[in-house]
Amino acid sequence: MGWTSQDDMINQMTNNGKTDGFIYQKNFPAAGTAGHWQHLINAAGSPPAATFGGAELTFTATDGTWSEGAVQLGGDVSPATKHMVAGGGSIVAAAGAPWFVMPIDLVGYVKLTTTNVSTTGTKTVTMTPISNTGAKVDRYANGVGLRMFVGAYATMGANAPTLQITYTNDAGTASRVTTAGCVSTASAGSGTVLNSGNAANKYGPFLPLQGNDTGVKDIENLIWGGTAHASGSVVICLCKPLAALPIPVAATGLYNLFDYANTIPSYPRFVDGCNLQYLVFNTGATTSGGTFYSAGQYGWGG
Amino acid sequence: MSGFANAAEWAACMDAGRFHVTTFRKAVASAATSANDFVDYTYFAGNPVANFYASSPLEAAHVEANRGIHLRDVGQSQYLKDICVMSAASGATSTSNRNQRLLLCDYLMYYPFVDTDAVGEQQDMIQTVTLPRYAGGKIMCVSQSATSTLGTFTLTYTNQDGVPGRVTQVTNTKVVNGGGTIVTTPNNSLAGSLPFVNLQAGDTAAKSVESCTFTGAGGGLMAIVIVAPIQHINSTQECRRTTTGNLESYGAATHLEALINMPINEIKQGAVLGMVGLGNAGSLASSILTGVLTTQWSA
Repeated sequence: MGWTSQDDMINQMTNNGKTDGFIYQKNFPAAGTAGHWQHLINAAGSPPAATFGGAELTFTATDGTWSEGAVQLGGDVSPATKHMVAGGGSIVAAAGAPWFVMPIDLVGYVKLTTTNVSTTGTKTVTMTPISNTGAKVDRYANGVGLRMFVGAYATMGANAPTLQITYTNDAGTASRVTTAGCVSTASAGSGTVLNSGNAANKYGPFLPLQGNDTGVKDIENLIWGGTAHASGSVVICLCKPLAALPIPVAATGLYNLFDYANTIPSYPRFVDGCNLQYLVFNTGATTSGGTFYSAGQYGWGG
Repeated sequence: MSGFANAAEWAACMDAGRFHVTTFRKAVASAATSANDFVDYTYFAGNPVANFYASSPLEAAHVEANRGIHLRDVGQSQYLKDICVMSAASGATSTSNRNQRLLLCDYLMYYPFVDTDAVGEQQDMIQTVTLPRYAGGKIMCVSQSATSTLGTFTLTYTNQDGVPGRVTQVTNTKVVNGGGTIVTTPNNSLAGSLPFVNLQAGDTAAKSVESCTFTGAGGGLMAIVIVAPIQHINSTQECRRTTTGNLESYGAATHLEALINMPINEIKQGAVLGMVGLGNAGSLASSILTGVLTTQWSA
């Protein structure tokens, strides 16, 4: 459990030292597109740029020890639970404001490159379904609460095919599909969340699940329709959104701090194994090379 | 109606995956609006796509779902967990989009292309569909063109109890520069503005509109729209950065969290969400309203 009361939280954090903080800093790898979400997973900074290693069309699990770069969050605390008590961010970029940023826990990804991007059709994914064990990949039992987005990690070529993902939901029902007709983004910069955007049939930040589905246990395939991207590399990211916070002011780096214990007492949880990453929504076209900085404080009880 | 028994059930939604996060971004058209003009953000380009109320004149119609802020079809009511909004200025020195009052609404039904020049002619509405989701809603009149002069009209409508033949207060339209502005005003003035048409004394809502009669020409076209208001929010300082002089940045965000800053508001199954905004400080032309909202639903 977390804390039984505000008194318990104060005691655990001040007398027992069960608190720490984190810092995350990234440079935008490419100009952000107005109205699009952007992931910063392959952006340079701290943690370093991920390259999305692993086999093509195969699910690669990630956690807080991910060798390609993960924010240090103090390790496991089970049976206690760890919660963010404050978090904030700033973006220094000449254009693009205002922004929303969304910390996520990246559970894993499936990468598609070359002809798996430049041809249409069904791209079958190999994945061991998320289960309900103590393994880090199962940190959201059976995938409850998980969402998906499709992000570029290289500059995309021309054309915008439709994209749809077939998945098994957290109840174990197979062949569920995300909303039909969702359109990818032509010629998008690296980091762009391709299912988001500023037009019809764009959904952001996540692909809408079918019906009242509450999670994703297994990614079965990705279906490209219409005219394929001329080129590019993408990842299907499986993640749990943790919070969202606004950054209204550009360039100066004004820091926007949210208090999750008092102002918005939602206590976003870092489960054991959390791989903290960030998504950013660009209202305008964010300048390439802009800097995103975030920091937060967390604690745990028990 | 499936709601929540207590705060613990409410708080459990995120862990149980019963949530939906969605974004919206609407860019007001370039035609200038005036201080104290309400605008209908659904009318403007962006995500979701523009809602021009483009269907057969005077025929009741529902706003298509894809013109509302995206919601998932979860087979039951959802509830607004949080909403956060910001407004980007149209330029580096523009401040006229600051201090907006915003109202999140469920867009229920509309009657398009009412001729505000048809003085003395009773324009009868065609009831091809009925009001969805609610027993009644508020009436607002949205310009579908520029208007050239101050007009005067009344509507007859059926109220929330199903009583037909009710008559609104005498209402005025004002001069606007383009579509998407709420065209009604409480007095014969360019400056005044009224989001909803005042109903006959004792009525709280309208189920349908039967006719519209202008006694003074307004010089344009408007849609009569019935909405259900859900939640007020405001956007305070405009978001912008100067490019000369002090090179300062400005901006603010407003975040409301259910239980803490606002009540838990129901969003009915099939809702078409949109935002109405009041330009308090001047023209909203070319400004951008952006936001993120989260909904939750019960087990």
